[in-house]
Amino acid sequence: MDAWRRLKKNRMAIYGLTLVTFYSLLSLLAPVLPIYSYKHQVLDHQYLPPSLTKTAGELLYERQEKILTEAAKNEGRSELNGKEKEELSVLKQQIDNETMVFDGKTVQVHQKRYILGTDSLGRDLLARIIYGGQVSISIGLVGTLTAVLIGLIIGALAGYLGRTFDAIAMRIVDIMYGLPYMLLVIIFMAIFGRNVINLFLCLALVSWLTLSRVVRGQIISLKNSEFVQAARVVGASTGRIVFRHLVPNILGVVAVFTTLQIPSFILMESFLSYLGLGVQAPLASWGSLVKDGVDGMKSYPWMLFFPGLAMTIFLFSMNFLGDGLRDALDPQSKNKL
Amino acid sequence: MQNQEILRVENLKTYFNTDDGVVKAVDSVSFTLNQGETLGIVGESGCGKSVTNLSVMRLISSPPGKIMGGDVFFHGKSVLSMSEDELRDLRGNKISMIFQDPMSSLNPFLRISTQLVETLCLHQGLSRSEAREKAVQMLRLVGIPTPEKRIDAYPHQFSGGMRQRAMIAMALSCNPEILIADEPTTALDVTIQAQILEIIKDLTVKLNTAVILVTHDLGVVSGMCNNICVMYAGRIVERASTDDMFSNPKHPYTRGLIRSVPRLDKTTKERLYSIPGTPPSLIDIPECCPFHPRCQHAMDVCRMKYPDETDFENGHKACCWLYGDSNRAA
Repeated sequence: MDAWRRLKKNRMAIYGLTLVTFYSLLSLLAPVLPIYSYKHQVLDHQYLPPSLTKTAGELLYERQEKILTEAAKNEGRSELNGKEKEELSVLKQQIDNETMVFDGKTVQVHQKRYILGTDSLGRDLLARIIYGGQVSISIGLVGTLTAVLIGLIIGALAGYLGRTFDAIAMRIVDIMYGLPYMLLVIIFMAIFGRNVINLFLCLALVSWLTLSRVVRGQIISLKNSEFVQAARVVGASTGRIVFRHLVPNILGVVAVFTTLQIPSFILMESFLSYLGLGVQAPLASWGSLVKDGVDGMKSYPWMLFFPGLAMTIFLFSMNFLGDGLRDALDPQSKNKL
Repeated sequence: MQNQEILRVENLKTYFNTDDGVVKAVDSVSFTLNQGETLGIVGESGCGKSVTNLSVMRLISSPPGKIMGGDVFFHGKSVLSMSEDELRDLRGNKISMIFQDPMSSLNPFLRISTQLVETLCLHQGLSRSEAREKAVQMLRLVGIPTPEKRIDAYPHQFSGGMRQRAMIAMALSCNPEILIADEPTTALDVTIQAQILEIIKDLTVKLNTAVILVTHDLGVVSGMCNNICVMYAGRIVERASTDDMFSNPKHPYTRGLIRSVPRLDKTTKERLYSIPGTPPSLIDIPECCPFHPRCQHAMDVCRMKYPDETDFENGHKACCWLYGDSNRAA
């Protein structure tokens, strides 16, 4: 493939592609990866900071020790008193011995290591980010795919055929635009129930509108070019002209548009989650994680930082990839060779 | 095989409805084309040459354009009453076309091979590999060096002349019976012009293709065509064989055209002749000879009525009152 050869020459695009692939693999393989469950709560472990080396128990002990020392300092003592020391040794005992049962397995809970820390319910943030990525990436992809499929077909046909089809299709788009999409989504959710599939459908419902307008405009500006007339002269059918001759000419625009759309879908989902219309707890998405993180931003910055970082890296990769794709899909691109 | 009529255009009228009124781009044009013949259509810009050809292939987009009357017969079959499917088979396979600007008439996003092979697969029912072979062969015929390699290039990797060659290859790949060349050389420089015309001439003779050559370059027509039609303001004002046309032009407009060609073989100190005035707007032309404001022989009758066609010998015909009157008197 020619486009692939050109894409390979673009280093940033390849970094982007690698990272996007990495993310996708991570999300796909989440169930078999050696990570904790995203929904198991250990209430003792709430708000543990990220640590690569220390177990949850050690962190817990340190924190308790620190609190007690601080308290002692406030009372003007330089050493802990007996009662406090006993409290600590009880805690140590508890940390060493306490077990919990998850999915039928007995686990020494305090031996867990939370590389990226925990959230307000003592759930592993790493697991939640990975599983959240699953939801967010698929929302981005589904939204984009439907946008491209429906938007491209409707937009291209409306632009090329014009007249009645154009008028009807574009009025439908206008009407859909006119309705606040939140209202649409709420109505949709109310009728069909709230679950992830319906969330996808909702986004699909509104995602294609802008793209179909963009495509229509592009097609209209191209449809009177001589090569289209040349194609008609050699007897190409309407479908052939639209999808074989015209659509490749606008793929660059579509590629850029869609890669810029993915972030907006992810953000849209987080907004829906915020309203309680998105993914339902304990399921997570990047949007909902960031939202949770914002609440405790000062005291527990990692809860905002890591989901935000994961999302930012992904969106950056996506944009670089999209940029590279646009150049690669255009045979006349300046960046070739 | 020669002299067998393959295309007959009868009283073709193509009008465009615009906000300013009806533009009669083509008004009662008739001509016939025989097998293997090369017909030149000459005229100023905007006189309806291109619209005539687009109408023949039914490529006028409507609205705003509309074929108001007349008919086009291809082998006796009316093109204007063909279905879409029949038309698609006609276009490219039976009649094909070369455009003025080779820069924009190839799809910049598709390889030359894709565009050539597509046509062949579509019309000739060839498999991909056969079609590709044929395409390479066609490219070699039009004089593209190492066509096996160049066929996979994109249009922007071709020069203007090469693109026009590729267009010709595409147009002729299905052995059409008629090739419409709509100013095929205007966008090219003179040396390439000559080569391209040579290729068109050679190939059409070889393949026995009839050609309609649209141009405003009289030099081109004189070298290429058997017969010439001169168009003015949507009508054919004079038609004749090439020799008759140049040796004995009848219509004042034709004379003006011929006089305004710079000639190398006659050195004069005079300024080059040009026809005074500008072509009329084609909107709501009154029933008169549209050339009369620019004609030095204009008479009263020219302002009243459009002249009938006067027949001279050898199919030489002209529409002018200069002859109509005397004919009627006789």
